[in-house]
Amino acid sequence: MILDGLPSIPRRLDVARAHHERGGLVAAVLPIHYPRALLRAFGILPIEVWGPPNIDATRAASHLQPYVCSIVRNTLAFLESGGLQVADLLIVPHACDSLQGLGSVLLDFVHPRQPVLPLYLPRTQGAEAAVFLAEELRALHRRLVEVARRAPLEADLLQSILDEEAADALLRRLFERRLTLPLTTFDFYRLVRAREFLPLSAFVELAQAMLVLPPAERRPHTPILLSGIVPEPMEILRAVDELGASVVADDLACCGRRLYPEGMSREPFARMAESLLGAPPDPTRGSPIQDRLDHLIGLAQTTGARGVVFHDVKFCEPELFDLPSLRSGLRDAGLPSIAVEVDLNDPPSHQARTRLEAFLEMIA
Amino acid sequence: MTALDVLRVYASSRLIGPAALRVQRWGNEWRARAGSGWASDYLAPPLRVAARGKEMVARHWLEGRYANRNRKVAWVTSGAPVELLHALGFFTVYPENHGAICGAARVAVDLSCEAENAGYSRDLCSYARTDLGSLFSGRTPVGRLPKPDLLFACTNICQTVLFWYRVLAHHLRVPLVLIDTPFIYFETAPEHAVEYVRRQLEASIPSVERVAGRSLDTGRLKETGRLSREASQLWMEIMERNDGRPAPISVVDQFTLMAPVVEMRGEPATVNFYAAMLKEVDGRIAAGVSAVQHEKHRLLWDNLPIWYRLRDVAEMLGAEGAALVASTYTNAWGELADLIDPDQPFESMARTYLYPILNRGAGHKLATMRRMIEQYSIDGVLLHSDRSCKPYSIGQLDQRDRLARESSVPALLLEADHNDSRCYAEGQIANRVAAFIETLER
Amino acid sequence: MSGIRAWGIDVGSSTTKIVGVDTEGVLHWDVLEDSEPRAEEQVERLLQRAAEVGDAQARPLVATGYGRKLVRQADRVVTEITCHARGVYRALGHGGTLVDVGGQDSKVIGLGPDGEVLDFAMNDKCAAGTGRFLENTSRRLGVDLEHLGEVALSAGDEATLSSTCTVFAESEIVSLLAHGVAVEPILKGLHRALVERLVAMIRTVGLRPPLMLSGGVARNPAIARLLEAETGQRVIVPPHPQLMGAYGAALVALEKAGEPSGPV
Repeated sequence: MILDGLPSIPRRLDVARAHHERGGLVAAVLPIHYPRALLRAFGILPIEVWGPPNIDATRAASHLQPYVCSIVRNTLAFLESGGLQVADLLIVPHACDSLQGLGSVLLDFVHPRQPVLPLYLPRTQGAEAAVFLAEELRALHRRLVEVARRAPLEADLLQSILDEEAADALLRRLFERRLTLPLTTFDFYRLVRAREFLPLSAFVELAQAMLVLPPAERRPHTPILLSGIVPEPMEILRAVDELGASVVADDLACCGRRLYPEGMSREPFARMAESLLGAPPDPTRGSPIQDRLDHLIGLAQTTGARGVVFHDVKFCEPELFDLPSLRSGLRDAGLPSIAVEVDLNDPPSHQARTRLEAFLEMIA
Repeated sequence: MTALDVLRVYASSRLIGPAALRVQRWGNEWRARAGSGWASDYLAPPLRVAARGKEMVARHWLEGRYANRNRKVAWVTSGAPVELLHALGFFTVYPENHGAICGAARVAVDLSCEAENAGYSRDLCSYARTDLGSLFSGRTPVGRLPKPDLLFACTNICQTVLFWYRVLAHHLRVPLVLIDTPFIYFETAPEHAVEYVRRQLEASIPSVERVAGRSLDTGRLKETGRLSREASQLWMEIMERNDGRPAPISVVDQFTLMAPVVEMRGEPATVNFYAAMLKEVDGRIAAGVSAVQHEKHRLLWDNLPIWYRLRDVAEMLGAEGAALVASTYTNAWGELADLIDPDQPFESMARTYLYPILNRGAGHKLATMRRMIEQYSIDGVLLHSDRSCKPYSIGQLDQRDRLARESSVPALLLEADHNDSRCYAEGQIANRVAAFIETLER
Repeated sequence: MSGIRAWGIDVGSSTTKIVGVDTEGVLHWDVLEDSEPRAEEQVERLLQRAAEVGDAQARPLVATGYGRKLVRQADRVVTEITCHARGVYRALGHGGTLVDVGGQDSKVIGLGPDGEVLDFAMNDKCAAGTGRFLENTSRRLGVDLEHLGEVALSAGDEATLSSTCTVFAESEIVSLLAHGVAVEPILKGLHRALVERLVAMIRTVGLRPPLMLSGGVARNPAIARLLEAETGQRVIVPPHPQLMGAYGAALVALEKAGEPSGPV
């Protein structure tokens, strides 16, 4: 779908093919945090895989039990049915026990055609975490050298990092300015989520085009904050628009929690580590609950959100453990919330919509 | 505390309580010797040393009742480098072990409902739900759980403990020391991971010293390490005694007697306990006593036990001459014993605590199973697909297929949960086990 | 019978209700029918009847319930949560915790002292907390729906059901009957099982006394009694418990018409 004044968003598959034609490699990257700049420095295009939603996941059943979340199960099913054929390598960050299991099952049993490169994100917040992550990124770099059969110069790597930071700065501006943009919630997210797969220059072009769109006269809406891992199935965002609400800020692992700050060091690996570790609080990186609560309350206060919708994928431990404390803390701060659990393959649900609708009526 | 209080606490926890427990133990031992009270056609009675193990654990919880008054208390995850805390004189509580006690006492579901009512999803680990339910309601079968002054968690068993302990830290407002152990996907832990763990251990010292109110005595740490290693080595020897036919003890005996090596590792009493257990096991071998009468099939158990059905599962299998002779779970507390180097405590702790089986890939777990199949002459494998334990359970489907295809060892997946009896379907499990045994008989 | 100023229609999965209220927000007219497969035709027919009674087109109209989106004629569409809260608050005059048990869903709504919705929980995935649970299982026992509650309350003993699922509960009942357990204790156990589900939902929302009960299942005396026993709280059933959704919708419509919806 083309929106006036904006470049069209191609499909992930087409982007991958185009990159191959330019002679580059494509990496399929699983959730959540990873060093985009490092991959791009090798001429590798990272294309993120969040599910995808709405597929037949039965092929995962021979490897994964039903109590593994649908993000992980869908990824495996997608791989097994050839969906990731276009990828030359697979990056599997360690965000939780299920992704840990998937990485292990891929490496030890499934043996996909592509090399599988795991990446461990530290769960502590001290200086040791930054030192470890820099080393872990160096180890990833060594693996990438083997796969890509080349090594970028340090100066090129640093430039790649600076370019990525500039793109992230544009992304942050988009998030800050979202209410002035003449876009529905659904379209806003569809566009910003293009960060997950567009080549850097294409994303920068898109972001700049979005930022110069004529500001919209905002219709009255109920402002909410959306929290969770990924806004899939995206029908929830359509429902938000149709019910006269608007997501004014988010605490989504794939969006708001990946607004990476600039690093400080001039040493590339240290800088990438600082940037990754400086992101907003995230339970998959071991953030304390109070930090998350402070962040959510702060976000709600600066954006005027009147309630929080926790949109979680069923079986997601990092999210479900924190939920009661967060909801109770938010309640004490005068912010009502609801929690919905979804499966990525759920057809649009009347029940889920009614819940959202009732909540919006409650906070209107 | 008044002088009277001090006296009362001393009397209860050091004199009367332990004395009462000792009397109870003598009673249990006598009953065991007399063979009375044990009714099973297929299973050997519990080891005599079980009474002593029970006393040790009970004494630990008895001390726990009063621990807040005179010691610093730490709540610890089962895979954490506890030697550091023992050397600082902490009284250690293992919420996982407490959870297992609740499971075995059949009160876990009730406690879990308390947590569920507070908003915790039923899809979360049943140990955590049991523990949080106990925290919110104040109910526990051990009398009274001492509140922690410190929370000490290590991610080498799962990430769930990280989220669980963050919740505890949030509720109890006490410091949480986290030892983050990067997952080992390949053959060895990369050096930078070992370095990371070692640095975290060292960085934790000021915090734990502050809570303990004293400085770390390296001599005491080394001694604790020595005792830990000795206990683990004895435990390993005990398990390895099962490699002969018939197996003198069952894995169920191991489950019920593992508490000291998990939660009292580093104490002299634990070493003595396992030395006594080893002696008794040797005695059984000499006397030709087997865990299961007419042992026909030798089985390997993978994953956590089903705490609320231990005896039932053992009986179901024993009736068909099937003995559980080895388990990857109990093996975990012995297999790393040699990595412990008491003279290099931080360096060796960093390695030892990176390498538990749960921090290793699914392929490594399969290789471990294969090795144990060889070592223990295993005929079949029971894979407990524990809904609560993803690090253990993910990979079992492939492990089962490969064991059958590549090793010609039949393997059965049993879907249940280690602590939540609502996830245990009696009829289904019984049917599957029966069908599995039939496969073995062919 | 003019004097009806606003209309509310609740298109549920089991029953469809339509209600008319006057300028004071007092209930003046209502119809309750089993929901028909062709919902739009049924709605059309009911609105015709309403128009005859009201002497004019049935407007303003607010629609609620499972099938609310099918009511093209509605001026506004509002969820059953908001409507039930509004209806019960007007009927009883105070806040508390409303438990609404319908044929195919159940919900718990926490109401503040001014009738505002504070929190809610919905069970719409699982039959074990709904009227359907009792319907299915009473059929197995050969007791008709009208007398279910009385029969249950007449039991001295009570059978404990362990199944968490309606489907398994049915086979459990067959097994109990085969073992000679009488119908009454089983029926009481079934009611207890349903009430336990409701209590779990109440606990997630948080119990703010008093407890109020609405929906078709509210007419079953055993449910109220057992709920009182399980929670230690008095249970209040408003008049016309099945009409609370439609009544609340009509009150919302009344507001829309510019009239206040009655004393606060």
